Amino acid sequence: MSEVTLYHWEPNANSGKPMLALMEKGVPFDSHYLDLLNFDQHKPEYLSINPQGTIPAMKHGNLVLTESTAMMEYVDETFPGPKLMPDDPLDRWRIRWWMKFMDQWLAPSFSMIGWKVFVGPAVQSKDPEELKAAIERIPLPERRVAWRKAIYGLFGEDEMKESQRRVAVGIRMLEEALSKRAWLASNQYSLADANGFNLAYALPLSQPSLSNDELTPNILRWLRAIYARPATKACWALGRTSMVKRVTILEQPHIGREHVA
Amino acid sequence: MSMTLYHGEPNGPSFTVLAALFEKGIQAELVRIGLAEGARHELSCAQQAEVAMSVEGEGPVLVVGGEAMADSVFIACYLDDVGPGAPLRPANPYARWETMSWCRQMIERTAPAAAFLGCHAHPPKPSPALLAKIGSVDLRARWEMIGAGVFAEDKLADSKAKVAVAVEKIEAKLAGRDWLMGEFSIADLESYAWLAGMVKVVPEGFAGKRLTVSWMERLRGRPAVRKVLALARVADPAAYWAPGPEINRWG
Repeated sequence: MSEVTLYHWEPNANSGKPMLALMEKGVPFDSHYLDLLNFDQHKPEYLSINPQGTIPAMKHGNLVLTESTAMMEYVDETFPGPKLMPDDPLDRWRIRWWMKFMDQWLAPSFSMIGWKVFVGPAVQSKDPEELKAAIERIPLPERRVAWRKAIYGLFGEDEMKESQRRVAVGIRMLEEALSKRAWLASNQYSLADANGFNLAYALPLSQPSLSNDELTPNILRWLRAIYARPATKACWALGRTSMVKRVTILEQPHIGREHVA
Repeated sequence: MSMTLYHGEPNGPSFTVLAALFEKGIQAELVRIGLAEGARHELSCAQQAEVAMSVEGEGPVLVVGGEAMADSVFIACYLDDVGPGAPLRPANPYARWETMSWCRQMIERTAPAAAFLGCHAHPPKPSPALLAKIGSVDLRARWEMIGAGVFAEDKLADSKAKVAVAVEKIEAKLAGRDWLMGEFSIADLESYAWLAGMVKVVPEGFAGKRLTVSWMERLRGRPAVRKVLALARVADPAAYWAPGPEINRWG
């Protein structure tokens, strides 16, 4: 048994952030997969670990940690292995700025689209009574609202349009940042890159008209460089759904506009 | 390296950064700007992505060696890294995680609620010419809603509930200790920054919260904080608000 247990869903979004950080550091951990689509995260067994019912959570000995971005900083500070935060305080500020921008502004827009096209449809075939009961068990009121919208397809046209606008703005910002530096927020691979990859790994598939080798060469260069890392390969190998298998688009040497069709 | 801090009245994010600066004993050029008039948008760095798209909304900007930094908690972390004064984050990694995690919940849940209620109670007065310069579409939309006096009742009620929840968390955390994380930290500064102005706006949230009220007094008694509050040019800086982070779009 490892000293660390990670409770996570797919290597995607928040779950994938500490998974990838642990893999990059070479920290062995017990992987405890929670099936988000089966509402494992709201079951008593998991709520005894994280009463808020959010994924991921990490146990290190007797310590319990939540909040994936703060968790990644803990992983980097606590364990040996390559440093994922540079020494320069300005770089550290920039990394945190980007992680917050992605966590709170860009990722919610990506995930609104993802929940509408993937999560919602994936659970809609379940028994309606079971779904109703599952929603009632969600501890955080805002997560209850989100699940209700996903399950019953209640995302409004205006909010989807706003999410799409933000995705387009975010893609432009990522491309600009990556045209200045090899990595997103510093000159070395950092937590911002691990965070960003979890957000953007399927970008050329999900947003083909906004991100490809012609329009956003720097984003594609960056995604391929992260995908080439052994830690990323090991991490994405833990995925079980078709959603995360989309990462293999990055194996294509050139992704042009034509792949849209 | 020379530093310039563009800040508003000592409330909200400007409070956090000014207090971190003074606590750490760092010399910086202080330039007061009218955050509540939209003056940040006429700074020469206003269109840099990290300023224009800061999730925090109208917060202070620290310029160091040509790089413009926004987002008060992370500026405070930077100042903690570079300044000579006592640390503003615990040394133990788990306690540091708790500090960052606490601040994250504060900026994600409490700050949007406090800024919304603050702007409702004390509406900022933007200059139309400056608003036209705002780079972020959604920040401009928040300004426009405030300008038009649009404050949905359900959002006001929800924001009050969120402030009350934050105070309850603080009250529970302060049992048997003077500061939120045990040692004085950025978590105290950031929590105070958003909640000081809520005492009069959501009085019911503070009723009977003895530990929280004395923690606020204790914080105001710190020499660095006294110096920060002495910078105020308005009678009550806790009543000075500009649009903050947006309320979570997911609900």
